[in-house]
Amino acid sequence: MTAVIEAINLSRWYGHVLGISEVNLEVQAGVTALLGPNGAGKSTLMKIVTGQLKPNIGEVRIFGEKVWNNRHIFRRLGFCPEVDAFYEELSGFEFLSGLLSLYGFSQAECQKRAERALEAVELTEVKNRKIKSYSRGMRQRVKIAQALAHDPEILILDEPLSGLDPLSKRRIIKLIKELKGQGKTILVSSHVLPEVEALTSEIILIHQGKILARGDIYFIRELIDTHPHMIRIKSPQFRELARILAGEDYILDISFRPSEQAVIFETHHRDHFFSRLNELILELSLIIEEITSPDDNLQAVFDYLVGK
Amino acid sequence: MQKETGRIFSFYFFLRKKSPRTKVFYLLSWASVVLALIIRAYRLAGNWTETSQVVFQNILMTFFLQFLIIILALFYGSSIVSEELEGKTWPYLSSRPVSQAAIIVGKYLAYLSLTSIMLVSAVVISYLILNLDQDFHLADLGTVVRYSAVLFLGLAAYLSFFTFLGTWLKKPILVGLAFGFGWESIIQYFPGSTQKLSIAHYLKSILPQYTTASGKLGFLFIRLEPTKPLIAILMLLLIVIVFLALAALIFSYKEYLFED
Repeated sequence: MTAVIEAINLSRWYGHVLGISEVNLEVQAGVTALLGPNGAGKSTLMKIVTGQLKPNIGEVRIFGEKVWNNRHIFRRLGFCPEVDAFYEELSGFEFLSGLLSLYGFSQAECQKRAERALEAVELTEVKNRKIKSYSRGMRQRVKIAQALAHDPEILILDEPLSGLDPLSKRRIIKLIKELKGQGKTILVSSHVLPEVEALTSEIILIHQGKILARGDIYFIRELIDTHPHMIRIKSPQFRELARILAGEDYILDISFRPSEQAVIFETHHRDHFFSRLNELILELSLIIEEITSPDDNLQAVFDYLVGK
Repeated sequence: MQKETGRIFSFYFFLRKKSPRTKVFYLLSWASVVLALIIRAYRLAGNWTETSQVVFQNILMTFFLQFLIIILALFYGSSIVSEELEGKTWPYLSSRPVSQAAIIVGKYLAYLSLTSIMLVSAVVISYLILNLDQDFHLADLGTVVRYSAVLFLGLAAYLSFFTFLGTWLKKPILVGLAFGFGWESIIQYFPGSTQKLSIAHYLKSILPQYTTASGKLGFLFIRLEPTKPLIAILMLLLIVIVFLALAALIFSYKEYLFED
């Protein structure tokens, strides 16, 4: 299959700071996720792919055409930047129809497309409100709407789920899947594995400006599962919980945080751990106030892959 | 290119006419109207005996020509690029099918239109407040049209220069202030052809009924050695074209970054 997006030997520096280094990449139709911790080079790569930045070495081609200084490519490409920035004085509708007018559509066509895009992200009801009055979720959705309003074949979405509440995340995930169903090529970046899991199985791991691995979600999961997970549970019965779970063979370490009424488990088998935890909650009527992961599993995988 | 410029013009004219900055500059422009009202009241009390034309020329020279058009041009022209970078809205613009040159020219025209409306409305109303009495003739309106045309040309030239500075420098305001209120003022007191290295020189060369030391504020005016009006107009047009072309050229090849 011909690659829709092709990055050839891309390198980019910011002064002495490395953005990305020797990146070679081919992206086909469907959803591809660029996964990496903050500062990994995801945004740099996306900015180069969308012609915002010029690579120091290498080039990007979209449908075989160069991207840098090629404005015509933007008829086929929609970009949702990571930054939460807008022309705040405009309403969602004015923002979209204004940007659409830059494609040369008639006023009626701009309005029709703006309405359609706002409907797709479920913002029709607030379309005439100023963007500055929008919630974080609405702002994220209007940003996505501007990327898809001109109906491009390619969508580049930089951290589209960042900072969203669960309901908004679900809406965006559903929308991205619908767009995939329409045959579009979608490149999404994220630093959160569960978000990426919900979107696609095609993942590119990027760290310190380099592509570390590429594969499906099972491959990534395998990498993660070879590493211990830290799980912090806050409960008034945290000592009892620790006593019961201490006997399980997948628990590697337990540490207490009495001042926080919490206990931290280290396990190399998350699924078994949570399955047993669920049973205990039901059997002993445990009160669980909070479950968090103090370490970043994804970071652990990257550290492992780069040999730290 | 023309169509793309037109699209950028429409978008930014619509966008900026709603902005808080535009409202502030409308208020600033209309300070001249308040000033005209105060002077009119003062004159009615018999305290200022010079003719209305001379009084208006004082306001024109000190407020409009040496202050307002420079301020308007500086803050709109130098922000053409920086507002997108500082506001982090640049990706919305740079991912559209419009050329870099069209962005510069389209935004320049949009801001020239906005600032011209502010300027000309303030000039006309101030003029009428000061001159509308039993001696006023419709033919006098010709004078205000000429004054407005000169100020418009000045605004266009300064805006073009500051647009160029905005594309070239990361922080153009300080350099712009030094140019607008330093260089432009000081150099005009120099004799000979040195004063021709300023935009203000050509503007003052084409002002109607210009006298070098008229009115109470005459001492603030320059010792003008005027250029011929036609040449002055051509020079101003040349300044507009050259600096706008340079701005478009720099903008097409320079890479702009903002902090994430």
